[in-house]
Amino acid sequence: MIAPQAGTLVLEEVSKTFPQRDGGGEVRAVDRVSLSIGVGEFVTLLGPSGCGKTTTLRLISGFEFPSSGRILLDGKDISNRPPNKRDMAMVFQSYALFPHMTVANNVAYGLRVRHVGQQELKQRVAHVLDLMGLAGLAERRPHEMSGGQQQRVALARSLVVEPRVLLFDEPLSNLDAKLRVQMRSEIRNIQRRLNITSVYVTHDQVEAMALSDRIVVMNDGHIEQMGTPEEIYRRPVSRFVADFIGRANFVEGTIHDVSGERATVSLLGQTVTVSAGFQPHPGDTVTVVLRPESLVLRSDPGLEQVRVEQMMYLGSSVEYLLARGDQRLIAVDTDPRSDRLFREGDLAGLTFEPETVHILPARA
Amino acid sequence: MVRLARSRHVAEFRRIFQDPVLFIGLLLVVIFIALAILAPIWAMVKESWTEDGQDLFSRYLGSPVYRTIIRNTLEMGLLVATLGTVLGFVLAYIQVKVAVPFKRLFHLIALVPVISPPFAVATAVLLLFGRNGMISKGIFNERYDIYGLDGLTLVLTLSYFTIAYLNMHGMMMALDPALDEAATNLGASKWRIFRTVTVPMLIPGIAGSFLLLFVEAIADLGNPLVMGGNFEVLSTRIYVSIVGLYNTTAAAVLSVILLVPSLLVFVVQRYWISRTSVVSVTGKPSGTPRQITHPLVRWPLFAFAMAITGLVFLIYGTIFVGAFTQIINVNNTFTLEHFDFVINGYGSEAMKDTTQLAAIATPIAGVLGMLVAFLVARKKFLGRNALDFATMLGIAVPGTILGIGYLLVFNSAIEVTLPVVGTFTLIPKMTGGRAVFGGAAAIVIVFIVRSVPAALRSGVAALSQIDPAIEEASISLGADNFGTFRRVTLPLVRPAFLSGLIYAFARSMTTISAIIFLTTPKTKIMTHQILNEVENGRYGNAFAYCVILILIVLAAITILSVAIGTSSGAEKTIEGGA
Repeated sequence: MIAPQAGTLVLEEVSKTFPQRDGGGEVRAVDRVSLSIGVGEFVTLLGPSGCGKTTTLRLISGFEFPSSGRILLDGKDISNRPPNKRDMAMVFQSYALFPHMTVANNVAYGLRVRHVGQQELKQRVAHVLDLMGLAGLAERRPHEMSGGQQQRVALARSLVVEPRVLLFDEPLSNLDAKLRVQMRSEIRNIQRRLNITSVYVTHDQVEAMALSDRIVVMNDGHIEQMGTPEEIYRRPVSRFVADFIGRANFVEGTIHDVSGERATVSLLGQTVTVSAGFQPHPGDTVTVVLRPESLVLRSDPGLEQVRVEQMMYLGSSVEYLLARGDQRLIAVDTDPRSDRLFREGDLAGLTFEPETVHILPARA
Repeated sequence: MVRLARSRHVAEFRRIFQDPVLFIGLLLVVIFIALAILAPIWAMVKESWTEDGQDLFSRYLGSPVYRTIIRNTLEMGLLVATLGTVLGFVLAYIQVKVAVPFKRLFHLIALVPVISPPFAVATAVLLLFGRNGMISKGIFNERYDIYGLDGLTLVLTLSYFTIAYLNMHGMMMALDPALDEAATNLGASKWRIFRTVTVPMLIPGIAGSFLLLFVEAIADLGNPLVMGGNFEVLSTRIYVSIVGLYNTTAAAVLSVILLVPSLLVFVVQRYWISRTSVVSVTGKPSGTPRQITHPLVRWPLFAFAMAITGLVFLIYGTIFVGAFTQIINVNNTFTLEHFDFVINGYGSEAMKDTTQLAAIATPIAGVLGMLVAFLVARKKFLGRNALDFATMLGIAVPGTILGIGYLLVFNSAIEVTLPVVGTFTLIPKMTGGRAVFGGAAAIVIVFIVRSVPAALRSGVAALSQIDPAIEEASISLGADNFGTFRRVTLPLVRPAFLSGLIYAFARSMTTISAIIFLTTPKTKIMTHQILNEVENGRYGNAFAYCVILILIVLAAITILSVAIGTSSGAEKTIEGGA
C-alpha cells in the first residue's frame, strides 16, 4: 500500500454554472471550490439539498465539466477527460444495477470493459462477491434481491475494478434506518481495508460523522468548512455549520480581555476564557455556540433562572426545552437520574461546561 | 454572458468529438436528415416560389375552383378528426374503464388498420355501400352514391381512428385510479367523475389525437383517389398535376398550400399540447382502474363496440372473400386466379420488390430511430431540439410533398467539383428513368424517412423510463458511449426497438403517397399496383394483393418478435432497483 500523501485528487477553484431554465441568467451551482484529498482518505461532501455537493461529485466523476477551475488526479489535469477514462467508479443512490444482467454479470461488467481475461475475471468476481457477503447470490437478477443486497452488488461492482477513487452519491438514502447504520459501518470497514480514496455525498450529518476522515460542509455552492468530524462539531466556523451539524444553542456574549487568540468572554452571568480561532476585540459582542449536552441545569437560585417549557424523557437521556426570556434553548442531560430531573413549569438555574464554549466571529 | 454560453457549446461539441463513434453517428444522422428530409422539402418550397409559382399562387387562391378544393380538404380533415377522435375515445374508454366481454377482440379490431393496405378499406366499402353495393343495393335496394365527402369520411375515419385509440388508451391507463377513488370518496357520482376528472385530464390527449387525425386525413392520397369522385382535395390535385399534367411547379404550389396547415398542426401539437399535458403517456399503469358495471352504460357501449367490430369484420371479410371470387357481386364463383396473378404472374415482381425494399429499410429505420432517440434524450449539444424536430418532419410532412421534393432534388446526379480531385458524382440520379438501382434507392430512403419518427418517439419514451444513472454506472465503470449503448441501453429498450421495427415494416409495406411518384417500371411497389388494379376495376386482383400484403406484414411481425423477443426480462426493475 502507498503511504497516505497529500493531494491525490485536487480541485482548484472549480466552478460550475448552469443556464437558468427560463431564459437568460445563469445559476452558479458550484462556486470556486478548492479541495485536496489524500490517498486512502474518506472525504464526505455534506450540505442541505441544492448546496452543490452532488454537482461537485459529478464534476469529479466527469458527468459534468467545470465552467472554470481545474481537477487534478495524481497531478494530471483531468477536467475535460470523459468519465470512462478517469479510473473512478461511482455508487449511485438508485444503485443503478443493470436490470437485464445477473449479479455476477453486473459485477463482471467493468472487468469485461477492460478486457480482463476469463480466468482472472472469474477469480476477481468471486473474490469481491465473497468480500461483500454475496457469494450465494451470483446468479440472481437485481429485482430478485432486497435493497440492501442490491446496494452491496453496486458496491461490489465498483470495487472489483479497483478504481483510483471511489465515489458515492447518497448511496444509503433508499435503505431503511437499521440497514443504513449497518451498511455504513460495512462501507467504512471495506474502505479502510482496501485503502481506497473515497468521496461521499450525503445530507445526513450523522452518516457523514460516522464515515469520514474529513467532512466538507457545503452551502450555496461554496465550502463553508472543512475538517475532521470533531473539528466540525467542536469548532464550527459559522452559525450555518453549527446549526447544520448537530444541534446548537446560540447565546450572546461579550469579550473582555484578549491575549493573542485567547479571550475572556462573559455569558449567562459567568465569565470564561476560551480559544477564539480568530482575533477578537475587547467590547465586541459575539455569538457563543453551546451544544445541548453542555448546558447544565441546577437547582441553584444563584444561577440565571430559566423555565422548563417541555421535558422529554428518552431513556438514555432527557431533553429540555427552556425559555430564557424570548429565547428558546435546548438542553440534554445525558445522565438522567430521577433525583435531579426537572418537570415542565419548573424554574431551574442554567450553567454550562466551560471547556465546551465556542465563540463565532460577530458576522458569522 | 454570451461568450460564456458560446464556450459551453464549443465544449459540448469537443466532448462529442472525443468519442469517435458518437461523433460519426451524429454526423451520419445529420447528413441523412439534411439530404433525405430537409433538402427535398426545401427544394419543393423553392420551386413553388419561382416566378411561375408565385403566379400560380395568386391564381389558385383567387380561383373559385381551387377555393372549393381547399375548403373540401379542410372540411374533410375536420370531419375525420372529430369522428376519429370520438371513435378512438369511446373504444379506449370501453377498453380501460367499462366492464364488457370480448375486450381482447375489441383491442385487436382497433389495431387492424395499422397493417391494412391503403385501398383495402375504400374498395371494400365501395363494394358494400356503393351504387351497386352488396348492402346498399343488394339489401336496401338503394343506389347510394358513396363517392365524395360522406364515403371519404367513413373510410378515413376507419383507417385512422387507431391513432386516437392508442393515444387515449395509453393516457387512460396512465390515469391514477386513486384519482377516481378520491373523487368517489368525496361523494362524486360516476358521471360526475367522468365529466370533472376523466375528461379534463384527457383534454391534451383528445386535442393531440384530433390534430394528428386532421393531418393524416388531409395528407391522405389513396382514399380520395378511390372514393373522391367529383369531390377533389389538395392531395388528389397534386397527384393529377404530376401524373396527368407533368407540371411540377403547380404541384409544388399546391403542396405548399397543403403544407401550411400540416406544419401548423405539427408545431401546435409539439409545443403546446405536450406542455399542457398532465398525464404522461409513458407512465406505467398504477393499478387496475375501477370498472363501470352500470347496465345503462355497459350494454349500450358494448353494442357500439360490437357494431364497430361487425363493420370491420364485414370490410375485411369482403376483402378476403373478394380475393377468392371471380368478380365479387357479379360472378361469385370461387377462383385462385387473383392469387396466381400476384404470386406467380405479373404481380410477383411487385410482391418481391416491396418486401425486399421494406426489409432493407426496416433495420436501418429502427437503428436510426434509436440512435436519434439516444442523442436527443441522453446527450447535450446545441441543436438537439432541431434534430428531433427535423426527424419528425419525415412524418409531419404529407407524403406527396416528400415525393415531389425527391423528384426535384434527385432527378439528376448531384456533382461536385473540387480542386485537385476534379468533378465527381456525389449522389447519382435516384428517381425517374435510368435512376440508380431502378429507383429502388430513393424508395428505400423514403421508407426510412417515413418510419424513423415512430421509432424515435418509442425510443425516447423507452429511454425516459430508464434511470440515467444506469447508463452513467456503465460509463463510470469504464465503458464508452457506444459500449454503453450496445451493452446496456439497447437491451433495455428492446421492446421499444421491436415496436419501432414492426411499425417501420408495416409502414413501408403500406405507404403510397410518398412513393407514388418514385416507382419506376423497374421497381414496382405493391400499393401502387393495387391502385392500378382498383382504377381498372380489377377488384379481385387488388384484394389478392391486399390479402398477401397483410399476410407478409403479419409474418414479419411474427419473425421479428421471435428474433428479438418481446421481453427485456427487466421490466420490474427498469428504474434500476429501488
